[in-house]
Amino acid sequence: MSRAWTLFWRTLLAVLRELADERAYERHLRVHGRPASGEEWRRFSEERLRQKYQRPRCC
Amino acid sequence: MGKLLRTGAWILVAIVGAVALAGVALKRGEPVNSAWLVTAAVCTYLAGYRFYSAFIAAKVMALDDRRATPAERLRNGHDFEPTNKWIVFGHHFAAIAGPGPLVGPTLAAQFGYLPGTLWIILGVVIGGAVQDFVILFASVRRDGKSLGQMAREEIGRIGGGIALLTVLLIMIILLAVIGLVVVNALKGSPWGTFTIAATMPIAVFMGLYLRYWRPGRVLEVSIIGFVLVVLSIFAGEWVAHHAVFGPWFTLGGMALAIALIIYGYAASALPVWLLLAPRDYLSTFVKLGVVLLLGLGVLIVRPDLQMPALTQFTDGTGPIFAGKIFPFCFITIACGAISGFHSLISSGTTPKLIAKESHIRPVGFGSMLLESFVAMMAMVAACALEPGVFFAVNSPAGIVGATPAAAAATITSWGFPVTPEQMHELARHVGEETLFYRTGGAPSLALGMAHIFSRIAGNEAVLRFWYHFAIMFEALFILTVIDAGTRVGRFMLQDFLGHLWKPLGRTSWMPSVLLTSALIVAAWGYFLVQGVLDPLGGINSLWPLFGIANQLLAAVALCVATTILIKMHGAKYMWITCAPLVWLVTVTFSGAWQKIFSDAPRVGFLAQARLLEAGPQTAQTKQLIFNNRLDAVVCGIFLVLVTAILVDSIRVWAGILRGTREARSSEAPFVPSQLEAEELG
Repeated sequence: MSRAWTLFWRTLLAVLRELADERAYERHLRVHGRPASGEEWRRFSEERLRQKYQRPRCC
Repeated sequence: MGKLLRTGAWILVAIVGAVALAGVALKRGEPVNSAWLVTAAVCTYLAGYRFYSAFIAAKVMALDDRRATPAERLRNGHDFEPTNKWIVFGHHFAAIAGPGPLVGPTLAAQFGYLPGTLWIILGVVIGGAVQDFVILFASVRRDGKSLGQMAREEIGRIGGGIALLTVLLIMIILLAVIGLVVVNALKGSPWGTFTIAATMPIAVFMGLYLRYWRPGRVLEVSIIGFVLVVLSIFAGEWVAHHAVFGPWFTLGGMALAIALIIYGYAASALPVWLLLAPRDYLSTFVKLGVVLLLGLGVLIVRPDLQMPALTQFTDGTGPIFAGKIFPFCFITIACGAISGFHSLISSGTTPKLIAKESHIRPVGFGSMLLESFVAMMAMVAACALEPGVFFAVNSPAGIVGATPAAAAATITSWGFPVTPEQMHELARHVGEETLFYRTGGAPSLALGMAHIFSRIAGNEAVLRFWYHFAIMFEALFILTVIDAGTRVGRFMLQDFLGHLWKPLGRTSWMPSVLLTSALIVAAWGYFLVQGVLDPLGGINSLWPLFGIANQLLAAVALCVATTILIKMHGAKYMWITCAPLVWLVTVTFSGAWQKIFSDAPRVGFLAQARLLEAGPQTAQTKQLIFNNRLDAVVCGIFLVLVTAILVDSIRVWAGILRGTREARSSEAPFVPSQLEAEELG
């Protein structure tokens, strides 16, 4: 039972981090082999947000 | 033994669902508990998911986990990334859940709880979830292509062009109508207006925090932002009663509309990290939290439905919007049953995250069922209100009378007793001056939610907090849709204008950004102002127009889906998408036809224009006449565009079925998957 709860909370946190783009940032760092920094976040988020807000939003 | 137990369990689900549906449909003359609706919905969703979606997945799509998805083949760490199916589920659900499933059912409650409930439950299983599922599948098999690209490749160039143009037009109407919902919710409400205004500096603070102080800490800053927003709700009460600040935030409809237009323009032209993105993060988390809270609230409280199963307004004389139950109930509730907009999400980010083909079913079909459940919760919240109160909040002055006494008398004469004193007392409880004429659905939904929440946490004394919390929640994510939608519309327009003159297509060229933002804002702003000026409340004309447009987009998506199924299997399985397509075409074409040509002035745009022409001609009347004719033209354009894509599709289908046209598939070739389960974090 406790394993199921742990899995549930881990998945929930992962969903929230995905929605928050935090996981995407980690992937970005991994792909480019760079450490986290303010400059890197700004570079990542500018590209990420540019793409995100070119797509239609649901009603 | 195990199989026997499983079979027995599914038979039990089917029986319980059938009994609950029968109970919902046949009970008359006594209050029905919302548990019946919830049970009927959940059992139908379970059966639909277990059997219908499994049939489509196995027989029609032949989903194959041995086949590499675009997320694996084109993996780049950005768009294409194989992702855990529950994470994709959450991501997809957050993307498809907008204000539609909350507002539509609330408005459709004027027919009684039964028609909307049946449409939400059955429409999603047969139509909405199937559309999302098939489009997601088609996009996954085509390297994550968009609906427009698939329409162009599967049907032809006309189809692709029309799909894009339809999306742009729908977006303009959508932004106007949801803007009107916010305006009507905040009109004359300093508390609500202050709270929403406060979200802007809070979002800017979050943007600066994320960019300069704690880069990348989105969850952390979202928690801080949420705490600040809740504090602003408490501060809003103080501001509303303040001798100086109170009047600052007490705005009329037109002032709010202008403020919204200026906001939309600024949000579209400002750097996205400063206002739009942080607000979007916050709004997404608040939206998911409140939807969960509402679901839990309804399950715990299980309120009795005060609204009858059917009201007399099924005859088309409803005060909230005019038009008979057919087709208008099915146009009013789009999201929650079937929504064309979802096809854009199903062919947008989601297909690029799908790791295994078997995940398409829970993500595409399953998350639409959850969205339908949200719509059901909204229906319960609206119908749990006393009908007299519901109609007093949602009816425009032009229908029920310009004074509270006249409005109460009119509504009582319909058989839904309500008094001005009762409404005054309720308004006092929620910290508002008045709750009359709050058309648009948001305030009555907020009332319903506040009643449910206050029965779990607190009592009547905290009703005012929950009411303003619900208003904040609705306005927050509607404004996010408005600013993000304006930006998207601007990009689409730049893309189009770039073909005429290249610099206009450059998204980094400021004159083009400012010009195209202004054009998009002017377009939806015009319809918003039109809604504010409309003596019938604006929702009467704009919501059906939006519903028709959204359902027509669903028809476009189903045309694409049917074409793909015909190319895969000939005529064998085309009924899966053709059945909802035929229904939608019938509903939307008859709805659009009535909105243009009906002789009833409250229904037909042209009849309304003729009626106004017969009266005294003032500047305002002339404007209203023009607006009605414009609405008729817009409605006509939607019809022509979708007729064109429908005819084009039928031509393609007939050619393939007769064998005169090659059924060339644009599916990506089979590549074996190398992805291991543990790679999916």
